[in-house]
Amino acid sequence: MTRRPASLVFRIVSAGAASALAVSLAGGVPAAAADGTIKGTVDVRRSLQATEARPAAAGLGAAPRRPVEFRPAVVYLEKAPGGAFELPEAGRASMDQRDQTFVPHVLAITVGTTVEFPNSDLTFHNVFSLSKTKSFDLGRYSRGKSKSVRFDRPGVVQVFCDIHSHMSAYILVFAHRYFAVTDRAGAFTISGVPPGTYTLAVWHEGDVRETRSVTVSEPGAAIEASFVIR
Amino acid sequence: MRHRIRLIGAAILAGGISAGIPCPALAQHWPSEPVALAGGRLLFGGDLSATFGSEDPGWFTYTDYETSAIRRIRAGVTIEARATDRVAFLAEIRAETGLGVTPYAWYVRISPLASGLIDIQAGRIPPVFGAFPRRAYPQDNPLIGSPQTYQYLTSVRADAVPATADDLLDMRGRGWLVRYPVGDPTPHNGVATVAAEQWDTGVQVRLGGEVVSGALAYTVGSLSRPRVRNDNSGGQIAGRVAWHPVPAFMIGVSAARGVFVAENVREARPDAPAGHDDQRAIGIDAEASWGRWVVRGEYVANAWRLPPLDAPRIVDPLASRAGYLEARVRLLPRLYAAIRGDIMRFTSIQGSAGPETWEAAVSRLEYGIGFTIRRGLLVKASVLSNWRDGGRVQESHLGAVQLLFWF
Repeated sequence: MTRRPASLVFRIVSAGAASALAVSLAGGVPAAAADGTIKGTVDVRRSLQATEARPAAAGLGAAPRRPVEFRPAVVYLEKAPGGAFELPEAGRASMDQRDQTFVPHVLAITVGTTVEFPNSDLTFHNVFSLSKTKSFDLGRYSRGKSKSVRFDRPGVVQVFCDIHSHMSAYILVFAHRYFAVTDRAGAFTISGVPPGTYTLAVWHEGDVRETRSVTVSEPGAAIEASFVIR
Repeated sequence: MRHRIRLIGAAILAGGISAGIPCPALAQHWPSEPVALAGGRLLFGGDLSATFGSEDPGWFTYTDYETSAIRRIRAGVTIEARATDRVAFLAEIRAETGLGVTPYAWYVRISPLASGLIDIQAGRIPPVFGAFPRRAYPQDNPLIGSPQTYQYLTSVRADAVPATADDLLDMRGRGWLVRYPVGDPTPHNGVATVAAEQWDTGVQVRLGGEVVSGALAYTVGSLSRPRVRNDNSGGQIAGRVAWHPVPAFMIGVSAARGVFVAENVREARPDAPAGHDDQRAIGIDAEASWGRWVVRGEYVANAWRLPPLDAPRIVDPLASRAGYLEARVRLLPRLYAAIRGDIMRFTSIQGSAGPETWEAAVSRLEYGIGFTIRRGLLVKASVLSNWRDGGRVQESHLGAVQLLFWF
């Protein structure tokens, strides 16, 4: 864990832009115009490799090589302000099974969200998780079918396929709405953050990689944070 | 709604809401996936199993004279080194109580087409015949024992043969330690119909895709006696065609024919008629799955031809018919139950006292459960009930527990 003085790391940016972004919270709840915005980028410089199946010494042929799927980071407030309990109505999200890969590889949701797991492959899949947050096994089902799971507790849920050992994904279940998944450029925006001092955490591939203290100094303020993960 | 109210209450009490992401726990990892080095070009997998079971005085579960499948500790390392996108070297090394370290597999795999429609493998290669031997040991066997076709020791040997039908009948139900007058005089275990614990050496070609695929192999050993070096100047041709019409169902048909009897037998009895020295087998396997169920079955019709030497002679091939049906159902995300029914039957030969099956019919019912402690760490418990119509022990009920770790 690394903590640095907020004044060295973040700078106040135009407050005018913050109010426009405030309606696009990850949780989907419009924020008060006076709330602040935390935005920035996460630059992942770690070497990422495709999740491999076990060496197939017993196979009669080679398994197809798979490219490394997009593996975003998740940026979130470790402790959310009191107003965070204003969670939206339970929503729905989807994690597809396509080309023997979970798409997206990382899904961040709020407590109460139901996640659909459609199968878009020609082969069977069997989605399961043994995570303490949510343990489930959806059994085997074929292309065109979908099964769903509702996530009622916050935490990290690692998802696998019982048939294809190289398939894995993460679902991060938050008890508040102050989180964002980075896009392909590594950018994120957390909107609707009331003034206050918070701990901003960056999660990537199973671990919290870095935390920082951030201060939203005044209503409507926007601060920027950038992270490098090595 | 009630859940939201609880959340709101907790937030008011705490003055803030934790994200709920358990940071410290995330930093702790057991390996649950293979280890990749050199940008994924070097890949290591591993497994470790410890099996503790009842004593087996009837030798129903032995894989050779000293090793019971329900009383052993085994470790394995699988290595894949990808020289290029089209060429890879694969090896599997196993260490097992009583057997030391054994190179189970080592071969080169060449994939000449980018489409993956053809693979050529040469070296000590995986068996083409049947379905069970190619299943990765820790994960894919829902129970502890193996199907009898792939494990049960018959009274047939390749390096020692009976001179008469009576010699063979004397060994009924004693496959774990067999002695015959022709060939190697040392007592040794007989062979299983298809050896799943050793792999043969040769070349194989696989063709096809997801729906239909076929494989053909030429090796120096035979189904029941895989070899690294040839000891009978013969080889084996084996093939398999698999059809996977829908995701829920797969069926495969296999056949093999190879020279079985070792050269030392011919040297011991140069008068033995030629051509009575091979093993032939055909098999059919199928798998169906839906929801939380997986059902698999195999049937193998096999025959060994041994040289007819002295009266009363063994005239006909020594045939066996074996089949099993197994089912696994997942009861909870961490818990499954499984059952396997297994039978082996043998043809009759004419001894001095009249006709009798050349080997004692044997059956097994195994049922058990598996509990996943965490991904890659599984504990199994099963009961194996065995019945045989010959031998010193004709009925045996065994229990076993197995702890498996793999990555």
